[in-house]
Amino acid sequence: MNDVLLWLNDPQNWTGTRVTPGIVAQATAHLAYTAVALSIAGVIAFPLGLVLGHTGRASWLVSVANGLRALPTVGLLILLYVMVSPLISGRGDAVYLVPTEIALVLLALPAILANTYAGVRNVSPDARDAARGMGMTGRQVLFRVELPNALPLVFSGLRSAALQVIATATIAAYVGLGGLGRYVYDGLASRDFGQMAGGAVLVAALALLVDLALSLLQRATVSRGVSGRFSRRSTRDSRSAAVTVVRPEPPRGGPDGGRSPRQATTPAAALTPSGDHPSG
Amino acid sequence: MNSENGSAPWDVFGYFADHRAEVLDLLWAHTWLSVLPVVIGLLVAFPIGWLARRYRWAYAPVVSVSGLLYTIPSLALFVVMPTLLGTQILDPVNVVAALTIYTIALLVRVVADGLAAVPEDAVQAATAMGFTRLQRLRTVELPLAVPVIAAGLRVAMVANVSLVAIAATIGIPQLGQLFITGFQLSVTGPYYPPIVLGIVLSVALALLLDRSIVLGARLITPWQRATAAR
Amino acid sequence: MNRRIATALTGGTALLTALTACGESGSSSAGGGESTPAGGGDTIAAELVLGGPPEFQTRPDGVPGLEEVYGVTFGEFRSLDAGGPLTINALANGQIDAADVFTTDPNIAANDWVVLEDPENLFAAQNVVPLISTEEATDGVAAVLNAVSAELTTEDLIALNEQVIIDRQDPAAVAGQWLAEKGLDATGTQAAGTDLTIGSANFPENITLANIYAQALQAQGATVETQLNIGSREVYMPGLQDGSIDLIPEYTGVLLEYFDEEATAVSSEEVYAALPEALPENLTVLEQSEAQDKDAIVVTRETAEEYGLTSIADLAEQP
Repeated sequence: MNDVLLWLNDPQNWTGTRVTPGIVAQATAHLAYTAVALSIAGVIAFPLGLVLGHTGRASWLVSVANGLRALPTVGLLILLYVMVSPLISGRGDAVYLVPTEIALVLLALPAILANTYAGVRNVSPDARDAARGMGMTGRQVLFRVELPNALPLVFSGLRSAALQVIATATIAAYVGLGGLGRYVYDGLASRDFGQMAGGAVLVAALALLVDLALSLLQRATVSRGVSGRFSRRSTRDSRSAAVTVVRPEPPRGGPDGGRSPRQATTPAAALTPSGDHPSG
Repeated sequence: MNSENGSAPWDVFGYFADHRAEVLDLLWAHTWLSVLPVVIGLLVAFPIGWLARRYRWAYAPVVSVSGLLYTIPSLALFVVMPTLLGTQILDPVNVVAALTIYTIALLVRVVADGLAAVPEDAVQAATAMGFTRLQRLRTVELPLAVPVIAAGLRVAMVANVSLVAIAATIGIPQLGQLFITGFQLSVTGPYYPPIVLGIVLSVALALLLDRSIVLGARLITPWQRATAAR
Repeated sequence: MNRRIATALTGGTALLTALTACGESGSSSAGGGESTPAGGGDTIAAELVLGGPPEFQTRPDGVPGLEEVYGVTFGEFRSLDAGGPLTINALANGQIDAADVFTTDPNIAANDWVVLEDPENLFAAQNVVPLISTEEATDGVAAVLNAVSAELTTEDLIALNEQVIIDRQDPAAVAGQWLAEKGLDATGTQAAGTDLTIGSANFPENITLANIYAQALQAQGATVETQLNIGSREVYMPGLQDGSIDLIPEYTGVLLEYFDEEATAVSSEEVYAALPEALPENLTVLEQSEAQDKDAIVVTRETAEEYGLTSIADLAEQP
C-alpha cells in the first residue's frame, strides 16, 4: 500500500518525463478513448433504442445486441489489431486506436440500447393513451412523454456503459496504446507494484468521477416528476406534478430518491439487468 | 498431428482438429474458472443481500461499496490476489477469487432488489398464515425473487466468461491462451485460426451457460412460465 | 421539459467533444514531448521513435543505459512487447523507427533490417541456460539438459524460430525434430523417477526451448508437466521460487541482471561465472549453451541508409 502512495505522490509521475507521458496526459487519453467510444455507441444505440421502443418492432435487434455481451473483449481486441495492423502505416496511434475504439463501442452498445429500449417500453400505457387522447402525434408522444419517462433508465444504461468502458480501456495498453492501463502493464512488466496498483487506483477514481458527472447530468435532465425528487417549491409547479402520474417505477432508496434504480424488474427489462460488467 | 497449419488463414476447423486435446483442456479450464465464482458468489452474496434488504440503512453503503469494486480493473485484481491471499502467483485460485469478488459485488444488489420486488401482500399473507421468518424467506420470498436473481446471475456468468480470458495475459491457461497464441503468430501477417476459435468457443460457452441459468430458473419457478420465457 | 433535455444533451455533447479534443493531443504525443523536444534535440536519435518491451524504460540496459553508455536519447519511447508481434509490426509499418528486438528473430533477415553494433557492450551476453529449482537438479536431470545445451547453437535458435514464427509450425513438433536431428531422442532411464513442471516465458523461442527440455527429459524417463506461455520474467520468476514450476529456459545476462541490478559482467564467461553467486539458494543454473539470443537495437534498412547508421553510437551524432 505504501508503494502505491509513494508512486502517486511523486510529482514526476504526474507530469511525466521527456520520454514518458505523465499521469495527467494518460488520464486525459483514457478519458478521450472512453468519450469517443461512448459517443459513437450513443449515436448508434440511443436513437435506435427510442425507435424500437416506440414502435415495438424488431425487438430481436435488442437481443442480438445483448448477445454482444458474450464477446470476450481481449479476444476481440487482438483479432481487430491483427486485422488492422497490416493496413495502417506511419507514426501515431491510429493502428492501436482503431481496434481499441471498435472493441469499446461494441462493449458500450448493448447497455445503452437495451436500457433505452426498456425505458421507452416501460412507460405506462395509460400515459401513452392520455397523450394520444390529448391529440399528440406519434412523434410528440415519443419526445414529450416516452423520452422524459425513459430517461432514468437511459442514464443507468449510459452510466453502466461508461463504467465498463473505463475499466476495459485498461487493456488497450496490451496492444500498445496509452491510457491509464499503461501503468498497470508497465508496472507488471517492471516489477513496480506501486505503479501497477497506482494505475488501478487511478482507473477506479476516474470511473467514479465520470459516474458522478453523469449522475449530475442525470439530475439536471430528468424531470423531477419522473425522478420523484421534489423540493417544496416545485410541488407547486403544476407541469412537473402532472408528469408524476406516468412515473414508470416508484423511487427507491432514501428520501430524496436521488439515484434511480438501475435494476429494472419489469419483464421487458428483465433481459437487461443492470449491465455493469467489469473488464480490463 | 499435422504440424503445417499455416496454409489456410481462416481454417478454424483445421486448427481445432490439429490441437483438439489442448483446446478441449483450455475449454474445460475456462468453464470451471467462470462457473465456480458464480456459485461461490451467490452463496456469499445471498446473506449480504438479505441483510441489505432487511436493514434498509445498510442498502446504500452496500450498493456503493459493490459499485466501487466494479471499477477495479480485473487485470490488477488478478495480480494483487497472491499478495492478499498468500497464494502462488500461477494459482488459478487467484482468478476464481478475483471473479468471485466481482460476482458478489453484482449479486448483493440483485438479491436485495429481488427480495424488495416481492409483492408486499404475498409477504403479509405468509405472515398471517403463521410462517416464521425463515419459513417465509424459504417458501415465499426466495421463490418469488428467483426471476430477478436469475437475471443477475446471467449477467455475472456472461461477464465472467469474458473476463476469465484476460487471465491468459498473466499465464493462467484457458481459452484466452488461444488469443495470445494467434497474436504471437501474427508477425508476418494475420493468423486468424486460434483467435477466431477462441472467440467462437468463448461466445458459445457464455451462451450455453446463460441458457442453462434461464432453464434452471424456469424449472424452479413453474408459475412464471408464462412471462419468464425469453 | 423538452428544452431542458435539449440543453443538457447539448452540454453533454460539448463536454464530450472538448474532452475528446484535449484527449487526442494527450494520447498522440504519447512521448510527452513535442516533435522537437528541448535538450539534446539535435541528435539523430531525437528524431526517432524507439519501441520495446515496457520494462525497457527502466531496465539498466534499456533507455537509461542507452543514455548513459552512448549518450543516446530517443525522441519518444513506445511501450510494446518483448520482440513480439507489436514490436515487429510497428517497425515494419513505421509506427516506430528503431526497436529492441532479439538477435535470433527471423524477422530481421526476412525484412532485411539492420542490427546496430554494440561496441560498448551495453547488452550483456545472453546464453541459453536451463534454470532449475535446486532440489530438482538431480545428476540425471542435469546430464540430460547438459547434453541439450552442448548441442544448441545460435544458428539452431534462428532456424527453430523461423519454423515456429514464419512457417507457423507447432513448437512441440519443431522441438521433436531438432532432438531427432541431434540424436538426443534416444529413450533411456537417466532421469527416471523425477517429476518436473516445466514453464516458459510468453515468446515463441522460449516455448520451443521448453518443449525441447520437456521432450528430452521425457525420453529419459522423467514425468513432465508443462505450463507454457506464462508471461514475462516478472510473472514466472515468482512461480519458480514458490515451486509452481521447477524448470525454465533462461538467458544468462538478463537472469544475472534480474537478481543483481548492479552486475557489470558482459562476456559469456563472466556472466556465467557471476550467476551462482547472484542466484537465490533454491535456484540453480545448469551448463550454458553456446547459443545466444541478445537484445539488439534494430532499424530498417531505409533508416540505416538515410542516417548512415551502423552502430548504436552513431545515433548520438547530428543528422
